[in-house]
Amino acid sequence: MFQFDSLSKIFIFLIFLGVIPNLFYSFGYLSHIKRKTYYLIHYFAFIFSMMGVVVADNALVFLFFWELMSLSSWQLILTDPKSAETQKAGHFYFIMTHLGFIALLMFFLLISDGQLMLSFGEIKNLSSSFISPTVLFFFMLFGFLSKAGAVPLHVWLPYAHPSAPSPVSALMSGVMLKVAIYGLFRFLFEILYPWPLEWGIIVLLIGSVSSLVGVLYALSEHDIKALLANHSIENIGIILIGFGMGMIFDSLELKALSSFAFMASLFHTFNHMSFKSLLFMGAGSILHQTHTKNMEKYGGLIKAMPITAMTFLFASLSISALPPTNGFLSEWMIFQAMLGTNLLDNMTLKLVIPFAIFALALTGGLAIACFVKAYGITFLGLYRDENQENIEEVNKMMQIGMVLMSLVVASLMIFTPYFMKLFDMVFVSFGFPSIYGEIFPNGIYNMHSLGLNGGVVSPLILLGVLVGLTLLFLYVYKLFKVKERICHTWSCGYSTSPKTQYSATGFAGPIRRFFNWLYLPKEHLHKALIHNHKTKFTSSHYEVHVKLLFEKSLYDNTKVLLNTLSYWVYKLAHFEQTRYIAIIFSLMITILFGYRLVAYSFSFYTFIIQLLTTIIIFKTLVKGEKQ
Amino acid sequence: MILYLLSTLFLILIAPLVLSLIKMIKMYLLYKQPISIFQGYRDFNKLMQKETVISKEASHITRVAPFLILSPLIIVLFLLPPLTQGAFYISFVDAFTLIGLISLSTFFLMLLGLDSASAFGGMGSSREAFISSMVEPAMVLTIFSISLMADNLGVGQAGVNLAHHFPKEHMASFLFAGISFFILLVAENGRIPVDNPETHLELTMVHEAMILDITGVYLAIVEMASGIKFIIFSTLFVSLFIPYGLEFVWYISLGIFLLKIISVAIVVALVEINMAKLRLFKVPNLLGIAIVFAFLSLITFYILGA
Repeated sequence: MFQFDSLSKIFIFLIFLGVIPNLFYSFGYLSHIKRKTYYLIHYFAFIFSMMGVVVADNALVFLFFWELMSLSSWQLILTDPKSAETQKAGHFYFIMTHLGFIALLMFFLLISDGQLMLSFGEIKNLSSSFISPTVLFFFMLFGFLSKAGAVPLHVWLPYAHPSAPSPVSALMSGVMLKVAIYGLFRFLFEILYPWPLEWGIIVLLIGSVSSLVGVLYALSEHDIKALLANHSIENIGIILIGFGMGMIFDSLELKALSSFAFMASLFHTFNHMSFKSLLFMGAGSILHQTHTKNMEKYGGLIKAMPITAMTFLFASLSISALPPTNGFLSEWMIFQAMLGTNLLDNMTLKLVIPFAIFALALTGGLAIACFVKAYGITFLGLYRDENQENIEEVNKMMQIGMVLMSLVVASLMIFTPYFMKLFDMVFVSFGFPSIYGEIFPNGIYNMHSLGLNGGVVSPLILLGVLVGLTLLFLYVYKLFKVKERICHTWSCGYSTSPKTQYSATGFAGPIRRFFNWLYLPKEHLHKALIHNHKTKFTSSHYEVHVKLLFEKSLYDNTKVLLNTLSYWVYKLAHFEQTRYIAIIFSLMITILFGYRLVAYSFSFYTFIIQLLTTIIIFKTLVKGEKQ
Repeated sequence: MILYLLSTLFLILIAPLVLSLIKMIKMYLLYKQPISIFQGYRDFNKLMQKETVISKEASHITRVAPFLILSPLIIVLFLLPPLTQGAFYISFVDAFTLIGLISLSTFFLMLLGLDSASAFGGMGSSREAFISSMVEPAMVLTIFSISLMADNLGVGQAGVNLAHHFPKEHMASFLFAGISFFILLVAENGRIPVDNPETHLELTMVHEAMILDITGVYLAIVEMASGIKFIIFSTLFVSLFIPYGLEFVWYISLGIFLLKIISVAIVVALVEINMAKLRLFKVPNLLGIAIVFAFLSLITFYILGA
């Protein structure tokens, strides 16, 4: 029923790291929630079910806890179900997560031959005789990635995560997405083990696209929680890039490099859990105080909320992959894994991987821009809305939650070698060679890459020197006793006002303009003109809405297509009762013919004859005469 | 070890000198009365003696950011390839760490721009965010390519390897990578055609806009940081793409190094007076060229081995 091998243990560890600070935060946040009992029941059920998923050892238990996880998180999104937005988000999440569930169910039914009670070890034996494992792979990928939020199954994230109460968004984005990654690890390693090269390339491709799409939509977002949700898509993309590299190396029999890439991916999973939870907690604290999710209303919060601001800055540095933070280290490992490809013989791969490197590097650059925007507009400058005097630091429990979470981030940064040792144990248990000794050959200070002539980074020394040097400079500055004067910011003779600051929309302006072909934005400019004078106006309002490409073109068009089809069928069937029989008859003919073609023998003559017969039958019996 | 510390100190010392040199050459070529080459030091001295005016709207970020802008760059200085033979160097730290540290410095510079609640600062930060996010991929690809030729990802070791064994057989990809890196040098340091360091016109400024609201010691520190950034990029450029002169005695190789830096300064100055500043939305085209050259360099290396 249950198993506690090293992979399960490491993910239980991850869940604990994510949940414990969240508990504190959640209790601090409770005063904000109206239906407290309802919230608490689902909250603990959610945590419990995530634990259940990672220790399950047969398909039935796995699916049970998976479904419990989906349902409890769905109910948590609907904690405050009044607004139409939340209802839409809940609806969307429900449908997406169940599409994924169906795919997973198909996967398990196919692979275990209907015996869902078999343990995963026994399934392995059954699955080796399965004819086309690629079908299984796609079912599994669909199931887990719809939960993890990789492109093109990412559309629900920017709706669901902002609608949930903040501690829950932290849990969903920080921990639940990682449970989906656990599923990938578990079933690829344990059941579908020797995989062809193509699977790795598919995962790499999905990862690259997700990381770029995620960060680009994050940049254009004004809703702070939706911005963070879009960043989850990006980070899942980065995790998948590492994962895909590991799969590619493994199918090329480069075990050590493969283990390195998988470790990078697992490390980024941990890192993303830590900083994304912290960022969502920070966003929740801001939301708690300002009662709005719109970034355009924020500004200058660092003065009123110093703890939130500091922890948010720390997490921003980490998510932007700036050294010496943990986010940098895992991204560094993924880069190094990709640079390991220069030794391959496969020329196509060698030429393709630089594009993935390009995607990851561009993602890194845009993530920096995005978090300068998120931090700068929210915490720096002047407050842009009215109720400034009401804003104060959040309560102690929430502060403790945020501080604890930033300690988790810091410990991932400082104790990287020990985490690496843990990850190494996981992959050794799956038959990979132990590479801890090669990553840290001489002590814990220098971290080596596994590639030939690979790079080296010394995170601890870097951290020490950076902090030391900055403190030294600050001390010297204090020592000099420089004369200081406080004065208003000079704004060309006018008084400094919140309205003259750059807005979040304005900040992302250049990037939005450059990626116009992707965003296809709709601009609304409204001016209250004085006497229809073109240049004189009392107030003006500018808004820009980005077209969500995937949602509009992929999802909405599918919806339109399905509607059209069903309407057509409805029109066919709903005039005469006899048509039902005609439809059933022609369907049977089609199936029989199709069976003959696929299973029995195929020749073009019979195909054409059968096609014509089907069309004639359909035309005469079903469509009938024109009225 | 002493030689190592001294050469790092030397880099810090010549940082303002090189920026003044570029300005001097430009003024000379424009038939203006050239400024003194020591103008950088004079400005520094002047700013150090001023009182610091801190914006009332600003937060603690303004008080910390200048130091956080400077210290990553100082660390990068210690990780550069050696200037002379025998100068101890940290051979192993790879280019990603360097890029990361420079990004860290830029990150705080952008926050500094947003901190004072002025429209100029936000504008500068926004533009800088735009440009530096486009620089990043080109940089990573170029570094990847050159590290393949140098057989090492560590920047210090790559510089030494290239000096000892010039990759004659990979001349084509070497040149492509060089062109790409030079464009990045221009873009990252805010020179014309990407940014004009000498104007305070709101239509054009990027770097100057971000630091418009700081004065005194803080301004001195940030100016020093931008000088050091230029020195970092030009040192990387000369030791990776003009890898020559490491085998002599230390004073000769230091002289050769200085000559190389001066020639880079001259080229930058020549580019500056011969080109107009690009519109902001044309800048990605230039950086696109850098990206294309980086890709070309990698592809030539892989396919042709040339």
